[in-house]
Amino acid sequence: MKALLAAAAALVTLTGCATGGVQRAAPSIAPSSQELSGEVKVWSFDVGAKALQRLAPEFMKLHPGVKVEVTDVGYDNVYDKITVGLQSGSGLPDVVHLEDERVSAYAKNFPNGLVDLGPVAAKYKSDFDPAKWQTASGPGGKLYALPWDSAPVGLFYRRDYFEQAGVKAEDVTTWDELVKTGLQVKAKTGKRLFVADLGDSTPLFTTLLQQQGQGIFKDGKVAVNSAAGVKALTLMAELKKQDLLQNEKGWDGRVTATKEGKAATAPTAVWWTGTLTSEMPELSGKFGVVPLPAFEEGGVRTSANGGSMLAVTGQTRNQQAAYAFVEFVTANKDSQLSMMKTESLFPAYLPALADPYFGRPVDYFGGQPVNQLFAEQVRDIPPVESTDDDAEASELLKKLLSRAVVGGEDPKTVLDEAAKQISTATKREIAAP
Amino acid sequence: MTALTEKLVRAPALPGPRHRRLIPWIFAGPATALFAVFFAYPLAASLMQSFQRTEDGVTAWAGLDQYARLLGDARFGRSLLNVGLILLVQVPIMIGLALVLAYVLNQSWLRFRATLRVAFFLPAVTTLVAYAVVFRVLLKTEGGMVNQLLGHEIAWLDDPMWARVALIASITWRWTGYNMVILLAGLQTIGRSQYEAAAIDGAGPWRTLTSVVVPQLKPVILFCSITSTIGTLQLFDENKVLTDGGPDDATLSPILLLFQVGFKQFDFGYAAAMAWAIVLIIGVLSYAQFRWLK
Repeated sequence: MKALLAAAAALVTLTGCATGGVQRAAPSIAPSSQELSGEVKVWSFDVGAKALQRLAPEFMKLHPGVKVEVTDVGYDNVYDKITVGLQSGSGLPDVVHLEDERVSAYAKNFPNGLVDLGPVAAKYKSDFDPAKWQTASGPGGKLYALPWDSAPVGLFYRRDYFEQAGVKAEDVTTWDELVKTGLQVKAKTGKRLFVADLGDSTPLFTTLLQQQGQGIFKDGKVAVNSAAGVKALTLMAELKKQDLLQNEKGWDGRVTATKEGKAATAPTAVWWTGTLTSEMPELSGKFGVVPLPAFEEGGVRTSANGGSMLAVTGQTRNQQAAYAFVEFVTANKDSQLSMMKTESLFPAYLPALADPYFGRPVDYFGGQPVNQLFAEQVRDIPPVESTDDDAEASELLKKLLSRAVVGGEDPKTVLDEAAKQISTATKREIAAP
Repeated sequence: MTALTEKLVRAPALPGPRHRRLIPWIFAGPATALFAVFFAYPLAASLMQSFQRTEDGVTAWAGLDQYARLLGDARFGRSLLNVGLILLVQVPIMIGLALVLAYVLNQSWLRFRATLRVAFFLPAVTTLVAYAVVFRVLLKTEGGMVNQLLGHEIAWLDDPMWARVALIASITWRWTGYNMVILLAGLQTIGRSQYEAAAIDGAGPWRTLTSVVVPQLKPVILFCSITSTIGTLQLFDENKVLTDGGPDDATLSPILLLFQVGFKQFDFGYAAAMAWAIVLIIGVLSYAQFRWLK
């Protein structure tokens, strides 16, 4: 009963103002040259909150009239709190920290929820990670958030395992070759290729889709059963068939298995370096990074997985100061560089990536300048479409992908079925193949 | 004499009749206010919301559309089938087990009874996080403790059938002790004389259980069945942390689906309709059990 009551109570708090009827126009920021003042409240979580708390005093030094207050609301609560705040129309701070995949859903479902920063921030377009800029953008040049950290994907590998198997990671340029290499490594070391959560294959699937320049939807139509989709799922099914996937549940499972050395590689984003260095310092020197294998020789060798943005909420009474803080944190070489050095947040702001810091050898990776590799990749991340139906489509994909990966059903058949179900649920057409 | 009586009768009425009517409300007031704000209002508002639709931030009346959607929603149907199966299999096992445990732990010859009762009750008060971690370690396909014990690799959380078995086992582990305590309380209302009478008539422990204890405990068993049925239909915690509804929706429950629809897809009108459909189903099932076991 408790669960139901809680659900009912939650639903209702949400109804509050939603039934007001009149729709406010989407808020948009106008340029201003007035002296900034007032209070700016910020919600963030994890390492992001630490970075903002560190940068807030520096911002306040530049703008003595403004008081910035950063609250770490915790990852487990942040989206529920933001959703409730958006739906009820009250209670939100001036600035919120959002992960990329949340932005378009919030912007579409709550048209007055996030301030359109286009009028003042459009000038930065060429300075940011193009894939993230696309994710933050809406129709008509609207911009719902400023990109914060980027998440270019590379292939992390265990140097010792590759050496033991007599193979070179640098020679692996395609996924087909990686499957072959994986079998060799497994034969010699007994370690599988990489950790995967077979209960939820969607993140890997969408990462592989993005590598091929596609999202779940293409021009607003369902595109999971496209050629790119079939290639991605076929690869995943092949990896499982060859017993190259180390199945572990959730984040903790992934970290533990990596610490225990159960897998030879990890195709994941740059933020993984933060986890490696903090959770398993004893493995220093064991890892290296190469670009992600391509689907075809000469193809794109990166993708994206995660990363965050900063948005100004429609409920703010202090748009100018709120935006100034967002701009100070994201579109600023010094801030971005300091967050890279202190919190390992990889800049989405391209001018910061030109700093010599990125060329430095990293001890943990045996002296390899891994940040250089990722910095070069940021520009190459293929921008893909993101929609407000991505969340619903992901749930359906999660359910269906396992039929191919675990159940061994034909990938094309599974994806056709997925496309049909997503089309019904989201009332979108299926894209022509 | 009459004057004195009058005085005695009047004395406690000093605050006057109007105040007298007010006093109960002063006591009941805080609870009523809380009830109105956190219970009555949410219920009414969610009911209203279930007749509305919000698209791109614009809310409009939708009549019975959201409820009609439920009828054609394959995932909602699947989630009901899932909890239906759990209801049929898990609740009888759990209540039976709880009854036997309660009966054994009520025997005066048993030592460490208090310790054992606490031990059986502990899972019900275990935090969800600890619960999730422990069961994942136990049920891992490779190197999990259960599989090591069995000497066989079963994909407990990745195979639709085994995931259901694992879920049923974990719910049983968590809630058997809770029901046991309630049944134990019921058992202690049965007087010694009835056991003695049964013993004189030559009844063994089993016969005593089936012919004396169970009939007497019927109202308590009914209570346990109804609360367990409601709990099963509102299943959320266990499958959220163990499988998140997977694989292939085999452990999806209506409340987990409601949560996804509301908080991940922002389709609050539909989520509210789902909540009220579940309320209706729970009402019907509880009434049926009531009639059947009465």
